[in-house]
Formats: sequence, structure tokens, C-alpha cells
Amino acid sequence: MVSSGGVITSTEGEVFDIELETDILKANKELALENHRVMKEHGITSIDVMGSVGSGKTSLIKAMVSILKNRYRIAVIEGDVTTTIDADLIAAENIPTVQVNTGKECHLDANLIKKALARLKLNELDLIFIENVGNLICPAEFPLGSDKRLVVISVTEGPYMVVKHPMMFIEADTVAINKIDLAELMDVDPSKLRNDIVTINPKACVVPISCRRKDGVAEIGRSLGLD
Amino acid sequence: MHEFSIATILVNSLLDYQKKDGGNPGKLLEVYIRVGRLRSVSVEQLVYSYDLLVKRTSLSGSKLLVEEIEPKVSCPKCNFKDTFERRDESFHFALPSLSCPRCGASLSLEGGDELQIAKIRVQKVTA
Repeated sequence: MVSSGGVITSTEGEVFDIELETDILKANKELALENHRVMKEHGITSIDVMGSVGSGKTSLIKAMVSILKNRYRIAVIEGDVTTTIDADLIAAENIPTVQVNTGKECHLDANLIKKALARLKLNELDLIFIENVGNLICPAEFPLGSDKRLVVISVTEGPYMVVKHPMMFIEADTVAINKIDLAELMDVDPSKLRNDIVTINPKACVVPISCRRKDGVAEIGRSLGLD
Repeated sequence: MHEFSIATILVNSLLDYQKKDGGNPGKLLEVYIRVGRLRSVSVEQLVYSYDLLVKRTSLSGSKLLVEEIEPKVSCPKCNFKDTFERRDESFHFALPSLSCPRCGASLSLEGGDELQIAKIRVQKVTA
């Protein structure tokens, strides 16, 4: 090291380390906190709905909206790779919906949610469901700023869905096991799935449901504090 | 799949840092990051994505070095302590669990969710 004018500078060719100690996804984390703050300021409860492709996320949200919309002013942010199919399905419930298409990305991030929130009249809402892109891996890495996490799986995905994707269940508040009416046909034991989930995360509330038969939907709402 | 997104964010933040630091911070040789085992991040894919992304940038030739952090669990009830992943004879792989194997209580988790740049190694060069 050479001292010049009171300032210590490194010499040509010298190798030195700079301690940074920063979060790589800091920007997403900060935006998620900002989203959370904005929703809380408006007294809005938000639920991030995650799960595999075809597990029944949209069906469950639609069924929940149907039984909760008399008590809550609800909006749904629909995340998908492409199309407005899900937002159109939910819009049939006559509530505000925003479709977010990620193009090729496999998850929503806090910035996309910030943009979606800007499209909604937050003063007129109590509850927002955010449906994430169907995927059991990537969405766990990108918090959006929601209050609670609901993970939806179904018996048609086979008996090993939980043990193959343990990380998705670690931070889940509620896990819905959907299509329970097909369990016997699929030769899948729902109690085994439940056991796998609570082994990974004993705090998770596990609810077997059938969206098709409208069974268990109210219980999902109760488990998330929506009475 | 999301490793490419994460590597993009990492490379952009390093390029931003270079610009901020007087425009001549030197040549970036190595980037040290920590990845907790609880993160769904494949180190191999992350490094592969990084190597692709830095080509034709001022970070070209730099190496991404990853330290993987093992989470630890402890039981608030019976004081059981362990690493997070335990071998279960019924599975042929390690299943993470937050259920205490001794008393069944919910375990507290410490660390393992890191995704941080620890430090960078730079070589001084004259512009």
C-alpha cells in the first residue's frame, strides 16, 4: 500500500477484497415489504396462492371468492405465463381482476405485484388473492409482500408431490389437498400426504378439499383467518 | 430455472457497483456468495448462468464462488439440536423436517436461507 496525500490507495496490480455483505435479492425483498406496507395502509389482507400446474389454484380462489364476497371486498391478481383464461374465470364472480403475464418467467416477483396493485382501487378493497404461476419451486424464492401463503396440491399429482418439493411447504400457512374425491381412483392416500406436509412444517394447517364438490373451501378460509 | 433470474440480478448489481465506485474499481477477479441450503437454488446452474452473463461485460473472466450454508434446527421444548436434513430410512434421500424427532414439537430454524454477496476480490488496474 502506498500513502499519498493522506489517503491510502492500492498499488497497480494489487489484489484486494471488498466486503459487501448484501442480499442478492434485496431489491425484491424491499419491494415486497413496500407492497405489504401499501396493502396494510389500506387495511387489506393478502394471500399468495401457490401450487403446481393444474392443482386447482384458480378453482379454489373462485370458490373462496364466491363464499366470501358478501363479507369482503375482494380483488384477484392472476399470475400466469400467458393468456387471460384464469382472470376471465374469476371475473365471472364480478370482482376486480388483474392478469399478470410473465411471458417466460416461472414465478411472479414483487415488482410485478407493485404494478398490479397500481391498477386496483385499493380504497375499495379488504382482501386480495394473488395467484402465482403454477410451479412448486421458483415462487418460494420471490416473496411478494402477502400476509399469508396458501399452497394447493392435488391427489392427481401422485403420492410423492410433497417429499419431492419440500421447500414449498416450509413457509406455507395453509396447504390444501385438492381433488380429494378422486383419491381412491388415483390410489393416493391423503393421510400420507398430510403426514409428509406436517413432518416438513408442523405449523402448516392441512385441509383436504374438493373444489368440484365445494367441500372444505370454507375451512380453507377459516384457516387463513377469513371468517 | 429461476437461477438465470438470480444470476441476472447479481451481475447487474455488480455492474452497478463498479459504476458507483469511482468508475475504476479494478478488475473483478472473484465474487464470493453464500447460498443457504433452504433456498431452491442450484449452485451449478447459478454458476453456469453467471459465466454466460458476464461474457462481453467488464466482469468477463471473473469467477463466482459459492459457499453453501447448512441450516441448523433446535427444539425450544427438549433442546434437541441438529442439522436440518435428516436421513429417513423410508426415503432414499434426506427429507427436511421442522418436526422434532425426539418430542414432536415444532423446531426453530437458524440460518440456511442466505442468498448474499459476501465479498468481491478485485485487482487494481490503471485506467
